[in-house]
Amino acid sequence: MELDFLATVLLSSLSSASILLIATIGLAVVFGLMGVINLAHGEFLMIGAYTALTVTQAGVPYILSIPIAVAVTMVIGAIVELLIINRLYGRLFDTMLATWGLSIVFYQLAVLIFGTVTPGIGMPQFSIAVGEYSLAGYPLLMIGVAAAMLIFVYLLMTKSVYGMKARASIQVPHMAQAIGIESSRTNMLTFSVGCGLAGFAGAVLLPIVPATPSMGFAFVIKAFLTVVVAGPVTLTGSAITALGLGGGASVTASFMTSVVGDVFFFVITALLLWLYPMGISAKWRRKL
Amino acid sequence: MKKHLTTSMIAVAAALSAQAALAEIKIGAIFDLTGGLNIYGIQQDNALDLAVESINAGGGVLGEQVEVVSYDSQSELSKYTQYANTSVLRDGISAMFAGLTSSSREAIRPIFRRANIPYFYSSLYEGGACDRQTFVTGSSASQQLQPLVEWAVEEYGPRVYIMAPDYNFGTISAHWINEYAEANGGEVVGEDFLALTVTDYAPTIQKIQQSRPDFVVALPVGANQTGFLEQFAAAGLKDSIGVVSSNYGSGNQQVVVSPEAGEGLIASQGYFMQVDNPANAEFVEMWTAKYGNDTPIVSGAVDVWNAVHVWAAAVEEAGSADPEAVITALESGITFDAPNGTVTMEPGSHHLRQNIYIARGDDRHGFEIVETFEDVAPTYENEMCDLLASPNLAEHFTPESN
Amino acid sequence: MSISENLYKHAGLVFPAGAVVLALVFAGQIDPYLAFVATSWVIFGLLGLSLDVVWGRGGLLSLGQTAFYGLGGYFGSVVAINLAPATGNSLIWALPAGAAFGALAAAALGYVIFFARMGPLQSTILSYTFTLLLWSVTQTFKLDVGEASIGGDNGMSNIPGIVLGFGEDAEPLGPNAAFAAAIVIAALLYFFTRWLMRGTFGRIVDCIRIDAEKTELLGYDVRKYQLLNFAYSGALAGLAGALFGLWANYLNPSIFSVQEALLVPIYVLVGGLGTLSGAFLGALAIGALSFFLGGGAVGGQTTLILGGVLILLVLFLQNGILGGLGNLWRKSLSDPNEAARNAGAVKIDSTVLGEILQDAAKDAGPAKNMGTDEAFKQFGGVIPVNKVTQTFTPGKPYSLIGPNGAGKSSFLKTCVGMYKPEGGTVTLGHDDITHAPIFDRVRKGMGVKNQKPQVFGELTVADNLWTAAFARTHDTDKAEEVAAKILSMLGLEGQSGVQASALSHGQQQWLDIGMVLCLAPRVVLLDEPAAGMTNEETRELSSLVRTLAKHTTVVVVEHDMEFVRTLEGHVTVLHQGEVFAEGDIETLRADDRVLDIYLGRSEHV
Repeated sequence: MELDFLATVLLSSLSSASILLIATIGLAVVFGLMGVINLAHGEFLMIGAYTALTVTQAGVPYILSIPIAVAVTMVIGAIVELLIINRLYGRLFDTMLATWGLSIVFYQLAVLIFGTVTPGIGMPQFSIAVGEYSLAGYPLLMIGVAAAMLIFVYLLMTKSVYGMKARASIQVPHMAQAIGIESSRTNMLTFSVGCGLAGFAGAVLLPIVPATPSMGFAFVIKAFLTVVVAGPVTLTGSAITALGLGGGASVTASFMTSVVGDVFFFVITALLLWLYPMGISAKWRRKL
Repeated sequence: MKKHLTTSMIAVAAALSAQAALAEIKIGAIFDLTGGLNIYGIQQDNALDLAVESINAGGGVLGEQVEVVSYDSQSELSKYTQYANTSVLRDGISAMFAGLTSSSREAIRPIFRRANIPYFYSSLYEGGACDRQTFVTGSSASQQLQPLVEWAVEEYGPRVYIMAPDYNFGTISAHWINEYAEANGGEVVGEDFLALTVTDYAPTIQKIQQSRPDFVVALPVGANQTGFLEQFAAAGLKDSIGVVSSNYGSGNQQVVVSPEAGEGLIASQGYFMQVDNPANAEFVEMWTAKYGNDTPIVSGAVDVWNAVHVWAAAVEEAGSADPEAVITALESGITFDAPNGTVTMEPGSHHLRQNIYIARGDDRHGFEIVETFEDVAPTYENEMCDLLASPNLAEHFTPESN
Repeated sequence: MSISENLYKHAGLVFPAGAVVLALVFAGQIDPYLAFVATSWVIFGLLGLSLDVVWGRGGLLSLGQTAFYGLGGYFGSVVAINLAPATGNSLIWALPAGAAFGALAAAALGYVIFFARMGPLQSTILSYTFTLLLWSVTQTFKLDVGEASIGGDNGMSNIPGIVLGFGEDAEPLGPNAAFAAAIVIAALLYFFTRWLMRGTFGRIVDCIRIDAEKTELLGYDVRKYQLLNFAYSGALAGLAGALFGLWANYLNPSIFSVQEALLVPIYVLVGGLGTLSGAFLGALAIGALSFFLGGGAVGGQTTLILGGVLILLVLFLQNGILGGLGNLWRKSLSDPNEAARNAGAVKIDSTVLGEILQDAAKDAGPAKNMGTDEAFKQFGGVIPVNKVTQTFTPGKPYSLIGPNGAGKSSFLKTCVGMYKPEGGTVTLGHDDITHAPIFDRVRKGMGVKNQKPQVFGELTVADNLWTAAFARTHDTDKAEEVAAKILSMLGLEGQSGVQASALSHGQQQWLDIGMVLCLAPRVVLLDEPAAGMTNEETRELSSLVRTLAKHTTVVVVEHDMEFVRTLEGHVTVLHQGEVFAEGDIETLRADDRVLDIYLGRSEHV
């Protein structure tokens, strides 16, 4: 096998894994800090994508549409937390069912509002040559974006006042309450941040994945599995799982077929859950 | 509610006992007006309404007005069977126009076969559906691919790469591409079958570069897969490798992809809005008058338009809307002057002989037609399926199973 | 008992039976098209029932029910296509084949979930993955089996209808008769499931949902029951799928889709989780809703409405229609838990207790020793059990004491099997039980009472004791006998019909101890049994423990030094995971080193 082909495969697999990680981080934050699995995560991604698309069509430069998408999804996330999640705190499966219903509602609303055909914004036309191979540049850029997101979330959780409060309320809830941290406020912010991260993902991935009402489904299944396999240490766990599962599936797809790549993903997931019934990070000592 | 039930019971009774004693002629329609497939379904339904309107305005068939009973299958398969049964058990229709995906067709075909009601399927598809009640007005895979592969081998060179979705449409199309490539002196240098959920095309694009083809036959389905075209263009491969497709454009994908990615793509279809003939000019005018010109008309819409007119011609010829008589009339070689040129219903295979157009995408989300293959026969279906000789066939022929 | 109370007790029998009769009467009358559609509601009700069995009763939210449904449908239909034309009747082929295949698939998935002891979230997500994997695999799966042809996304057609008659030219039933047939099939399955769930099997499944750990501490192999229950729900789903195949005459991978999977929990929630009959009511309500909304502007939004309905249900109507009605009705009845308030203080008669323990020794053999050899347990850098070697024998109670974090509870958990030791061995009698699962240790004679009272709150006091006794005796009558004895020893006869959750904290502790005694344990481990008890109760407990120690080996982990003193037994002091000192309480009280670690004085800390 030629070296340049191998390099190409590695590079693009890394970018696939990064795309999966970008789509997963928001989910991981909400699950890690609130113990809530948000099954409507994919639809927040979709809302982010549509927001960016609509704003871009209205003449705003694409790069500026990303913060707008984040803001919109954060607001919707806060409202959802206030109306639904808040009332189901500590009831994991009820939350899952309610957010599942929510995902269907969002999906159908998107069909109603946007229809099923919407122009894409096109992928920036630049490419990178590796030996005889040529790779689209934008997907490779996602490696950097994923790394930046990880660093951002890490800093947010460890250096900001909000992050410390959020971690305190999940780790020692009564203590946090005793020293005056309002856990309901922190939770609302956490959920909102998680949704904002989903919105960011939708917007930043828009050139790769065109906005459609059903785009959420394609992404979130793998994102859920990533978070669940990762286990309680969500941030580090998810990063490692996304890299292993997403990258592995992409390498498999390069040498075999995309269907085998998908099967690889699901089979390894089942295997990991068999070996680590509570997630791979269940026995780790770090907490983030 | 009670009144509603009583009337519908009478309707059922009438339908079951007499079936032909019609005050007016009722036809049924089931299309996806909502849900993920409504880009096709709405246009199909619009075309049906427009066709019925034009027939009724011209005095109807046999002097009777045609009434449409329309259902929205919501892009869900279970709704197709439900409404197909409704239309048979309750509405007493004399012909059915329905379906987009192959699975929707296969789901309801047995229902109309049992009820002996002509069923028109109007969408491009993988080919091979064969029974006495089913009539297909879309083009089959072999019908579209034969001219396309012939043209592309001549234009780009002999090395072919196939990128197809991993389900019936994709695998059967791949079979025909192999066969026609060989027949035209080409060779298939690589194939990649993609799961429907794929959003990551990097592996495929690497494999394409590794195989060094002259052109790629790309058969993406679903809006997600236009991502492939974007990424292919962004990788800068479009200048050295041609991209042709037999279904690009069938759902107005040219509107979704960016002009950079769409320019120069080759598509083959039974109809493009740009077709230049008087029937099409008239059709487009009627269409835009009623529905506006926001979205280009897709081939599936014209397939429905043709289906309704072919059916109407058969009713006229039979002198009755009685399903059995109409089926017999449909097997007499009915022709119709359609927007996509003159079309003929093949008596044996129940498929439509029609023109196949090859078009090139421009940089304004549109197409220009580069070549017309006239009067292309559904060769494979004609060969496998002769319902005149064996009217009891109820098959779905696929080339692998021979 | 009033008529209303009687009716309430048998509501699950009377109302469904009435509904079946009513539906059968209507089946002959209604519009054939409505009958045709309503048949599918009955089938969906069956599918909902399968989820209620595994979720409402078993406690696992399975999103894999449509997978078993689809697999059962495909397999049942393949069998029916090939065999039914020759014999006529399609039900005798499709239904058993579908049920068997559904059960098999569920058992395979259940084996992975339960025997790996996955967490609830992991289980749910894995079942969902299973469904989605099938959805994507069946898109391309093509296979010809005899006359049947599975055609990937094109699906499988030519499935025979619902045929009852025998012989080659038997005709499929018309819509009305098929509706009636579906009702009869669903009714049979519902009544069978209800019988199963009210019997011993259902009782244990209920216990696992309420408290899986306690169920295992009674000696039940929880995994086996969970697997069986899951397989049964798979059989129900598979059978429903086969019936669906016959009804639709056509199957396609969309049966595995997310949209299909979404509907099943909705049916169950609308009707009422855990009620069994609720699933049918839910399917009827949702089916009728989308039927009468029909197509058109409103009907096109069925999915939107269903999504909204699911959110509202979860938020406001947790118990569904039947659960809500049941609650209203119960309020009008006399409160069965009233007796809980009249319970007096517990007085243990040592003579009665002695007799019970002698009986137990006759059944279960002599008391056993328990020992650990260099037992070692580590969590990251913390070592709560550091090479502890101890032997416990019958005669006098053993107490484990030590300051907070000394490793008392961890040591006990290592003996019980809740913690797997990294080194050393644990023995019970002559058996090495270091790697034995918890239920196996219990069957070998270990009885465990944890710090918090572990009782099955939804079950009555008598049923709690019976379930414990049955775990040992495996005999309904004998279990009844044992439970009655313990009940009278505890003096809770007046409260036998009361739900355990209605008892006071102290009473729950006694009930829990009673359940342990039902097991006739040869070694009894008690973790802080006196916590939360009144002085009077503590005195009774002390006398009970001393009597117990005469017949069995008893180990008590305790904080309360006064209580330990009254036990007059052997005392071991643990410190930082190691044995620090041993002896009787008076000697240890005089030991300065022990006082140092208790008071946190520096020398030995």
